[in-house]
Amino acid sequence: MTGALPGVAPMAVPPGAYLVVGTLLFAIGLAGTLLKRNALSIFLSIELMMNAVNLLFLTYARMRGDMAGQMIVFFVIAIAAAEASVGLAIFVALFRVRRTVDVDEIALLKW
Amino acid sequence: MSPTLSAALEGLGKIVFIWGVVLAAMLPNLIWMERRIAGLIQDRPGPNRVGPFGLFQAFADVLKMFMKEDVVPIYADRLLHTLAPFILLVPSLAVVAVVPFGSRIPLFGREISLVVADVNIGILYVFALASVGVYGLVLAGWASNNKFALMGGIRSSAQVISYELSMGLAAIATLMAAGSLRLTRVVEYQANGTFLGFLPLWNCFTQPLGCIIFIIAAFAETNRVPFDLPEAEAELVAGYHTEYSGFRFGAFFMAEYLNLVASSMMMTTLYFGGWSFPFLPHAGLAGGLLSIAVFFAKTMCFIFLFMWVRWTLPRFRFDQLMDIGWKALLPLSLLNLLWTGALVLLKVI
Amino acid sequence: MPALSGELVVFTIASILAIGFALAMVLQKTPVRSVLSLVVTFFGLAIFSIQLAAPFIAVLQVFVYAGAILVLFLFVIMLLNLSQEATEEDARPIQRRLGFVAALALGGVLSGAALRAPMPKGVAPAITPLADEIPMIGRLLFSDYLLAFEALSFLLLVAAVGALLLSKRRFE
Repeated sequence: MTGALPGVAPMAVPPGAYLVVGTLLFAIGLAGTLLKRNALSIFLSIELMMNAVNLLFLTYARMRGDMAGQMIVFFVIAIAAAEASVGLAIFVALFRVRRTVDVDEIALLKW
Repeated sequence: MSPTLSAALEGLGKIVFIWGVVLAAMLPNLIWMERRIAGLIQDRPGPNRVGPFGLFQAFADVLKMFMKEDVVPIYADRLLHTLAPFILLVPSLAVVAVVPFGSRIPLFGREISLVVADVNIGILYVFALASVGVYGLVLAGWASNNKFALMGGIRSSAQVISYELSMGLAAIATLMAAGSLRLTRVVEYQANGTFLGFLPLWNCFTQPLGCIIFIIAAFAETNRVPFDLPEAEAELVAGYHTEYSGFRFGAFFMAEYLNLVASSMMMTTLYFGGWSFPFLPHAGLAGGLLSIAVFFAKTMCFIFLFMWVRWTLPRFRFDQLMDIGWKALLPLSLLNLLWTGALVLLKVI
Repeated sequence: MPALSGELVVFTIASILAIGFALAMVLQKTPVRSVLSLVVTFFGLAIFSIQLAAPFIAVLQVFVYAGAILVLFLFVIMLLNLSQEATEEDARPIQRRLGFVAALALGGVLSGAALRAPMPKGVAPAITPLADEIPMIGRLLFSDYLLAFEALSFLLLVAAVGALLLSKRRFE
């Protein structure tokens, strides 16, 4: 991938710190996804996971001096926008039929 | 003095100056100005009791608001109810940080550029803050636990996010002309050059359509007439600030006027040359001070325009409002983008 | 221990903000407050992005993510009037506790793996002030990443049309 980051000063904060924060946020998002019952809250936790991964991409982009990480984050943000709109439209349509967004109640595929 | 310390002091001085001017000098006078202009247009005196020409009316208003009882509805979410006006307030205050309010001033042996923070993402910072301001409107409507407030809040935020689009697209055309996102670069571009030989290179002359779109969108963003249906008294009680009284209502008021000031500053910077004026010097101490005066004079002109329109035009119905935003302004701003692109490509500007 | 500098202080504050409000988002009972906690988390992430020499991404985070996507979430929550989480008693408390422990363990494993992985060797950084990287992003978008960019615009169009169709009421 082309594009080196134009001349920047060395990192004052050790990159390991960013990685730890990113993975912690990912774990918190995962906990939210698994433990919440409201479908919208689950979706929010998924968004948190995606943003934690964005942080990791940016950290590595900075360490390598490569712009590719930033471009990936740009695309991830835009795709998350598209995904959020479609996902929320699905929730709205589901709510009209089932009158609830509790995932324990919307267990339609169970035998 | 170490360079970090002097840089910090310089920044602090600029912040104190610009916030001092906006909050202490402009805001009380705006309240007075609005009511006097309303009086002039409606052929009545306006406030003239409190102080000479009623100049201290603002202090009377603020005092009254502090004295009123602060009511929070019983089933409302208390935290969000309290937070909403301040969420609306912060973006307007933060926007003035990137606006260049003058050229340069040589003070204490160094050239101080008159912008608090010359970030390389200038205009995007402004739009990001404007989009965060939507939360204040939505939360005010939701946290009041009141159908009318909720309707007002949802309508208001729908209006703001619809007109944000056209505003952003119109502003992109100015960035295309200037070649950079930095606001200082946009103003410098407009300050140095002429268009068609005799006009200054201001974006209002090179992209008149974009200028008009931006002004209309700014009216809608700040919830001013003719786009003030969400807070109109005849329609929705008082819209999203129905359940607010006392100090928090005063905070909403203040937020609206600060939004006004911020929008006028953005219009001046993007379309009307910022601190520059043809045939006036910009360099040196005198030039720098003159540029500050020119900038604030232009900002006050736009504030006067906002107030003039408020007391002159009737308001739009909500569906008319949304039609204008999506069906008229959006295609026109795309057209403006094409127009500016053509001009830049043909090296006219 | 890295030297105390302004950047380290800002990083600490931003990380406390981000992690604290992420926890708040998971632990809140009302969806509206979860969304607001996530907004603050995104502000913390935007601060990180600025420190990682990506100001454009930082402002995109605030503008697109916090300012548009989460407003959409808020609208849907208000439209569906979800003022409470489901208030019935917990059907599976053991699963909840095990899940919490598992997430904690996963967080620990991921952090350890990220820290022990060999750090990439990058371009030797020069001590010069940050040049303007936004024109470079623009150039990359229209040269190396042009296909992805055009596909993205098509994707957004499809998403907008799809959302409209999915949420349309069918009048019988």
